[in-house]
Amino acid sequence: MNDIRAELAAILLNRQLPCGGWAALPGSSQAALEPTALSFLALASGPGRTARDRARQFLLGSQNPNGSWPAFAGDDTDGSWVTSLVLIALRDIVEDTPARLKGFAWLSHSAGKESNWLWKWKFRTTDRHVQFDPDKFGWPWLPGTNSWVVPTASAILAIRGLPCTCGIESIESRQQKGIQMLLDRVCPGGGWNAGNGVVYGVPLAPHPDDTAIALLALNLETQEPAVRRSVEWLERVAPRLLAPWSLAWATLGLAAHGRSVSPLVDTLLHLPELDQIEDTSALALVLLASDCSRGLAAFGVSA
Amino acid sequence: MTISRRDLLVGAAAVTAGAAVSVPYFMPRCYFVRRPRRSHVAILRVDEYSERIEEILFRGLQLFHIDVRGRVVVLKPNLVDYIPGRAINTHPLLVLAAAECFRRLGARVVLVAEGPGHQRDTQLVLAETGYRQHLQDQRIRFVDLNRDELVRTPLRASYTGMSHLWLPRTVLQADFLVSMPKVKTHHWSGVTLGMKNMFGVVPGSKYGWPKNILHWRGIQESILDVCATVPVHFVIADAIMAMEGNGPLNGTPRPLDRIVLADDPVAADATCAKLMGFDPDRIIHIREASKFLGNASDELIQQLGETIQRPQVPLQVVPEFQYLRAA
Repeated sequence: MNDIRAELAAILLNRQLPCGGWAALPGSSQAALEPTALSFLALASGPGRTARDRARQFLLGSQNPNGSWPAFAGDDTDGSWVTSLVLIALRDIVEDTPARLKGFAWLSHSAGKESNWLWKWKFRTTDRHVQFDPDKFGWPWLPGTNSWVVPTASAILAIRGLPCTCGIESIESRQQKGIQMLLDRVCPGGGWNAGNGVVYGVPLAPHPDDTAIALLALNLETQEPAVRRSVEWLERVAPRLLAPWSLAWATLGLAAHGRSVSPLVDTLLHLPELDQIEDTSALALVLLASDCSRGLAAFGVSA
Repeated sequence: MTISRRDLLVGAAAVTAGAAVSVPYFMPRCYFVRRPRRSHVAILRVDEYSERIEEILFRGLQLFHIDVRGRVVVLKPNLVDYIPGRAINTHPLLVLAAAECFRRLGARVVLVAEGPGHQRDTQLVLAETGYRQHLQDQRIRFVDLNRDELVRTPLRASYTGMSHLWLPRTVLQADFLVSMPKVKTHHWSGVTLGMKNMFGVVPGSKYGWPKNILHWRGIQESILDVCATVPVHFVIADAIMAMEGNGPLNGTPRPLDRIVLADDPVAADATCAKLMGFDPDRIIHIREASKFLGNASDELIQQLGETIQRPQVPLQVVPEFQYLRAA
């Protein structure tokens, strides 16, 4: 298995762009922040040290003036959900604290559009096809849109890496509200869809990756029935997953709740054509999940 | 009567506020007319998903004057998510048949490209729907539009008020873009057909899963802006097994036993709407698009295949869209 990991790490290193970032797909020269942050986390040990240094410089150089991070190099400067991922990636680097604090300040002001009183009123009165409590809001993919599961779970994980409130007074209450939002929007049978559990009275089908990311963020909420149902749902579906991205997330999500994931890791590393994975984020995530305790630590989660 | 300075100021403020609200409403929202003088549509009967589709489709394509020799053809199916037993996605056999037909017609490259709107794991959708194996077997390249290289693209209409979108290079560089929708009802937009299918070119890596900015800016408005900006050259709609009710994910399968081919996305959508038992003129984006993107009226559409047969019972829709059902 170490051979497979070494081979995947070599492929990942080989894809690093001259700017220090990674593109979402091979053949592209457009560095994107999600694959870069995940590759940075995946190359924490071994021969990736120089690559990490270059990636770190790229991440720091990409920060928007308002403290957020863009989705990709050249993006508009409003900021995006990947701000949380970059904050997770840089969490242990003391020298980067000023950049991180600016990022956390931006994150504390970023909120799903349903947090505004007007839209809250609309969702309570006239627009009730999606079943959710607009008082419980989290983070959007990009400003001006609703809260969704992945950006909210990522922000919760990022905030855990903040050693103190550091003058950002609202950050703890936002984190709590984000946790409440995830619990509010769970699918009735457990697991999470992209953002809501019931639309037009019909329960939505959960997604393995969304569920696993939410479970990483909720790994301290083990007594919540919704969390327990979701862990059970993910345990049932994980062995049948055919795609590296979902299987890698499922492995991490279950490991975060103390489940044995050795068989899943074995399956993951023996998926066909692993070396042909185009999606750089998926490649990095497979590396993280293949060494689960290190993968969890990268996200600041202890099993 | 005397008018005080205060009255004047209040009056001026009221006029200014009124103008600010009403002027944008009267501003033109499209800056060009791409509507052809005449559009062509072919409704073809196909009873089931099988290997026979290719020959039926090839004969159908020959009814049109399509020249794709030496060109890059991008097929854009509708892949959203996978739920067993639901007719959510364009069937892979239809997409494979289309790829083979365009190869036979001399295309230099045929790609399949999509950016699923709900499920982030595109590879999982491809694997679960059977696409991955089929595409590998036929050596057809798939491009994940949610993660493709992005180009800042000014919008060519202003229904949403957005000035630009970041769009995938693969789509912008296509010589011949084919929208391949699944014919479905949709609980937010009434229907999802050839034009709504183009939401899949808006990349998740920038706009998220789902592409919620398009909902906030107005689904009908976003369809118009996206389709004005990314020209669809041809439509092959999968109405063999359509979806009715609470689409696009949780509706009920409804066989219509047809595929619809068209050289104009507006004509394709208007025809599909009629096959569903709806009045296309009541569907906002079809009605508005018929002013500048294509033709929706019968007089301007030449039917090359079967004549349109409305179903005896129109497709079910959620209560908010009951008005779409033709009288």
